[in-house]
Amino acid sequence: MVTNTNQPHGRTVLQAHQISKSFGSKLNSTEVLKGINLQVREGEFVGIMGPSGAGKTTLLNVLATIDRPTSGTITIDGQETSKMKDAQLSTFRRDKLGFIFQDYNLLDTLTVKENILLPASLGGLSKKAAEEQFNDIAGILGIKEHGHKYPHEISGGQKQRTSAARALVNHPSMVFADEPTGALDSKSASALLGTLEDVNKSRGVTIMMVTHDAVASSYCSRVIFLKDGAMYSELYRGDKARQAFFQDILNMQAVLGGDRVDAR
Amino acid sequence: MTLVDLVIRSMRKNLKHYYLYFFALIFGVTLFFIFSTLQHDSAVVEQTDLSAKMASGFQAATVLLFGILLIFVTYANDLFLKRRSREIGLYQLVGLTKGAVSRLLIIENILLGAGAFIVGIGAGMLVSRLFLLLLMKLVGYEGFVNLSFSGAAFLQTAVVFAVLIVITSFRMFWKIRRSQLIDLFNDDKKDEHPKQPKPILSALLGILGIAMIGIGYWFANSEYMMTAFLFFNMLLVLMLVIVGTYIAFRVTIGWLMTLVRKQQNGHIGLAGALSLAPLMHRMKANAKSLTVITTLSAMTLAMAGFAYSMYYSTEQETRVRVPHDFLIDEVGEGNEGTSAEIAAQFAEDLDSAGIGYTQQPITYLELTGAFSGENLPDLLNWEGNTVELLVFDTRELKAAGLDIEEPETGEATIHNNGISWLLTKEVFPVGASVAVDGRTEKLNVTSIGTQEVASGYAGVYTQLTLNGETFDRIKEAAPAESHRPLVAFNLDDKGDLAEASAIFKNYREEMTLDFYSTYKESLSYNGIMIFITGFLGLAFLVSTGSILYFKQMSEAEQEKRSYTTLRQLGFKTGEIMKGIRRKQAFVFGIPLLMGLVHSVFAIKSVSFLFTSTDITMPVTIAMIAYALVYLAFAILTIGYYRKTIQAAL
Ligand SMILES: Nc1ncnc2c1ncn2[C@@H]1O[C@H](COP(=O)(O)OP(=O)(O)OP(=O)(O)O)[C@@H](O)[C@H]1O
Ligand SMILES: [Mg+2]
Repeated sequence: MVTNTNQPHGRTVLQAHQISKSFGSKLNSTEVLKGINLQVREGEFVGIMGPSGAGKTTLLNVLATIDRPTSGTITIDGQETSKMKDAQLSTFRRDKLGFIFQDYNLLDTLTVKENILLPASLGGLSKKAAEEQFNDIAGILGIKEHGHKYPHEISGGQKQRTSAARALVNHPSMVFADEPTGALDSKSASALLGTLEDVNKSRGVTIMMVTHDAVASSYCSRVIFLKDGAMYSELYRGDKARQAFFQDILNMQAVLGGDRVDAR
Repeated sequence: MTLVDLVIRSMRKNLKHYYLYFFALIFGVTLFFIFSTLQHDSAVVEQTDLSAKMASGFQAATVLLFGILLIFVTYANDLFLKRRSREIGLYQLVGLTKGAVSRLLIIENILLGAGAFIVGIGAGMLVSRLFLLLLMKLVGYEGFVNLSFSGAAFLQTAVVFAVLIVITSFRMFWKIRRSQLIDLFNDDKKDEHPKQPKPILSALLGILGIAMIGIGYWFANSEYMMTAFLFFNMLLVLMLVIVGTYIAFRVTIGWLMTLVRKQQNGHIGLAGALSLAPLMHRMKANAKSLTVITTLSAMTLAMAGFAYSMYYSTEQETRVRVPHDFLIDEVGEGNEGTSAEIAAQFAEDLDSAGIGYTQQPITYLELTGAFSGENLPDLLNWEGNTVELLVFDTRELKAAGLDIEEPETGEATIHNNGISWLLTKEVFPVGASVAVDGRTEKLNVTSIGTQEVASGYAGVYTQLTLNGETFDRIKEAAPAESHRPLVAFNLDDKGDLAEASAIFKNYREEMTLDFYSTYKESLSYNGIMIFITGFLGLAFLVSTGSILYFKQMSEAEQEKRSYTTLRQLGFKTGEIMKGIRRKQAFVFGIPLLMGLVHSVFAIKSVSFLFTSTDITMPVTIAMIAYALVYLAFAILTIGYYRKTIQAAL
């Protein structure tokens, strides 16, 4: 395992220990994740890369409590999520986590503002406080003036920023994103990544993002490479410029092989 | 893979969408077969001596039932075709021709139809005896009736069903032929985009919809309704209410919801996101079907409520027209002797049969006269016309057991059940000039009685009741040939009515003089009516309920992705279900509620037909039954949503 130094020394937000995940029946099962250990500190922007089928989405889902690991423990914000019941998990997700999906997953029948405020609706937040949160985050993401529009009336990039605003409105401890730029052109993609980087820096939000795209992962502070369900290596950006980090990532991908086609 | 394999595969895959449709089809076949059997079975027809009434009633019912089934089946078919459009597109994409695809769907349709037919006929044969017993009970027939398998009924059902299948198959064929591949892939996404409504226009239209319904209601129950243009007025009311309902669904509800939503200013909340938002943006697309469902609901409900009220009030309403158990007069043809002589013989027969009774002679005066008054209704056109008047003595009527008020001296109470609904309080007082032996006797008519005072004169002649003093004065002056003697009989134990009625038939054949026969006759009419409307209503309910269910089923499927998102965002199934329940309350509640209100007004506008009965009770029961069936469908739907949401993550 190739490791860079320069690790940040924040509080640990996420701690995964010996995560494995198998699909299928007992007799005929495939192990998709093979004992992954991972630690994410507060304020990190972690990218996950790897060839198609490596288990990136599976790992993200398991860490994000959308799916359960077959074995291993996951602790987020000091709470062991792998032991929680479904109902507890739902509450936990709502209060502590945010999600950005590749295909936005906005509710078609809700306006941009309604979509963004949806997670706040059960949090017992006052209308005024929620309004402030909305103004704040929508301002940062530049979609405030589109608040009254329906998803089909805005562009893909705006949709993805709406999705990001929804993920961030509750001040989550951690945001999970699965290929958030997958459906965007390179301009909208870099706009979104830029704002994510900003939010990450200014608000100190911890972000974990799966991506195929070396450009996208060059915005991260650390990139983890998965291969065949195991951690292959990781790269820290440290004080490097984005361009230099991008080169490192490309080199690593070349070593890893198999997925160069996907890198844009 | 052959076409048949494909059919079997696709049917198995779509089973969960089909099963309720299949059930509703079976229900339709069963009901149709039973109605047809009851109509064709000669044993039933002969033994129950209801042939003419029954046949025509059931004939009308089968036609209506066919209509309901046709609408339901085509509608359900369209819905299925739409939701399967992607699958149909895929078949074409992998190289199946349009012809092959329509063959596939038509085979499916025929298999489904044939299956429903076989099961339905089987079920019909099993339960038709039950239905017959129920019918016999409703019409008050106490004999034994044998029911055999009716070939004619089978054939009729088969033909009707074949027609149904052919029509739907042809529609499928035609639709697929016309369709473009690209549309097929977008079909289940159509009307998906919510739009910002134009505020002023929708406010105006929104108010217009409600106003039209309101005006329709008001008009139907106002004095302007009962004019010579009654039929035209009824059409006008119907149009106002139906168009109003459509606008209400298409605009008003959406507009009100927009107002609520604007108020919320983005803070819609989970429940609102799951009820308000999807309802709003589907309202437009659903307006037509909701209007049809609501209008037909209201009609069925009014019909069923009316039929049930008729049945429920048969005894009281018969008493209004036939107040005495038996009445003997002497105008009938072919009777020997005066009313007193016949009464004596009848009394003797009753005595020897051991039946207790009281008898009371009643003498009335058959005179002519005219009415005058300021507020006489146009429809009666009494002014200046001479009418035949039957003048009765309150003392005698009271002695015969009638519960009527005694007017003051010189005053009179009018009794005529046929027109009583036209004579509102404002009409009185009315002057009556009665011609007595060349002079005219002036009487002041102050009120209207709630019933006829002598059996057999219902609605034909106008009757006046006077107090003893006034009656005696007029009787004195009236010529002897205007005196008409009657004898009223009332039994001590009403349980003896059937036996006494049989004896009475030896003397007088007229049914209207005999309470029991009149009652039985009405009961059998009303029984058939309630049987038919009840089951038609049920068939209708089941079909509209399933249409709402199908629609919700496809909505649930379309929104599955939203549920996945919500679950991922950390909303619990229970929290999501709260919003779903609210939505279902609207989806089933609004047509039900509008239907109920419509039918209440419809029944109210004909309630004058029930002079002596409070029909609140039967109407309420009919409505509760209706609401319960809808509730059952709503619960089924909610169950389907729960499953979908649980499977979403
Ligand atoms: N629900 C499941 N049941 C069975 N196998 C699954 C399931 N989900 C994923 N897999 C398998 O697990 C492996 C990893 O899948 P995963 O979606 O995590 O890959 P990925 O790294 O996200 O790939 P991609 O870059 O293509 O999105 C794949 O081989 C996939 O077939
Ligand atoms: Mg993936």
